[in-house]
Amino acid sequence: MADDAADAVFGALADPTRRTVLSRVATHPATATELAVALPISRQAVVKHLSALADAGLLERQRIGREVRYRVTPAPLSDAVTWIAEVGAQWDERLASLARGLQAPNHV
Amino acid sequence: MVEQIERELLLPAGADEVWQIVTSSGWLAEEVHLELFPGGEASFDSEGCSKHGWVEEAVAPRPDEQSAGRLTFWWGTDDEPATRVELTLEPGGAQATRLRVVEARPLELLDVIGIPLAEGEAGGRGPAMLVAA
Repeated sequence: MADDAADAVFGALADPTRRTVLSRVATHPATATELAVALPISRQAVVKHLSALADAGLLERQRIGREVRYRVTPAPLSDAVTWIAEVGAQWDERLASLARGLQAPNHV
Repeated sequence: MVEQIERELLLPAGADEVWQIVTSSGWLAEEVHLELFPGGEASFDSEGCSKHGWVEEAVAPRPDEQSAGRLTFWWGTDDEPATRVELTLEPGGAQATRLRVVEARPLELLDVIGIPLAEGEAGGRGPAMLVAA
């Protein structure tokens, strides 16, 4: 990551409320209005936080009719698929070895 | 977007025994060093692969009280972002334990700079040290 990009991210995440906004959007894409209902801050404040997060490249805007929905900027899909396949296979192997160990005859 | 892997397995052993195995050398890696408290250091070394990170939560199971154990830690190699692993051990009788594994990359960018998306308990100490290392 370039230093400028890292600075923008650090800046955007310095505020605890903004981190809360981000973690909500990470779970469910949402509009500013929906977030304002869920959080103890005004819609205007939510919009400010969302803009800062979007400017840092953490969130992206998606316009649906008159609404703007925010969601976490996705990593490239191929990367995600590779990761899930590789790391999933490692866990399958680990769990199988654990089960084998516990079922072995010398196990009490 | 949360990218995660979930697995669940019923094991023919008590939760105490499973906890012992999963926190010791030989399972997560050949050499495992875990400081079992929030913020504790964690290292996992196997031939050809070394990961390190930190412990977010470590609660041993208490099978006599049917209380589940949980080990949550972050790990990563030097050249890739850390991921978060959560192991839950549910006692299922004297000789049975349900082990649930969740490994997640909540958001790659956040991993890199060390801010877990999980609320609360992280205490400001994160995988940032993986990057600084």
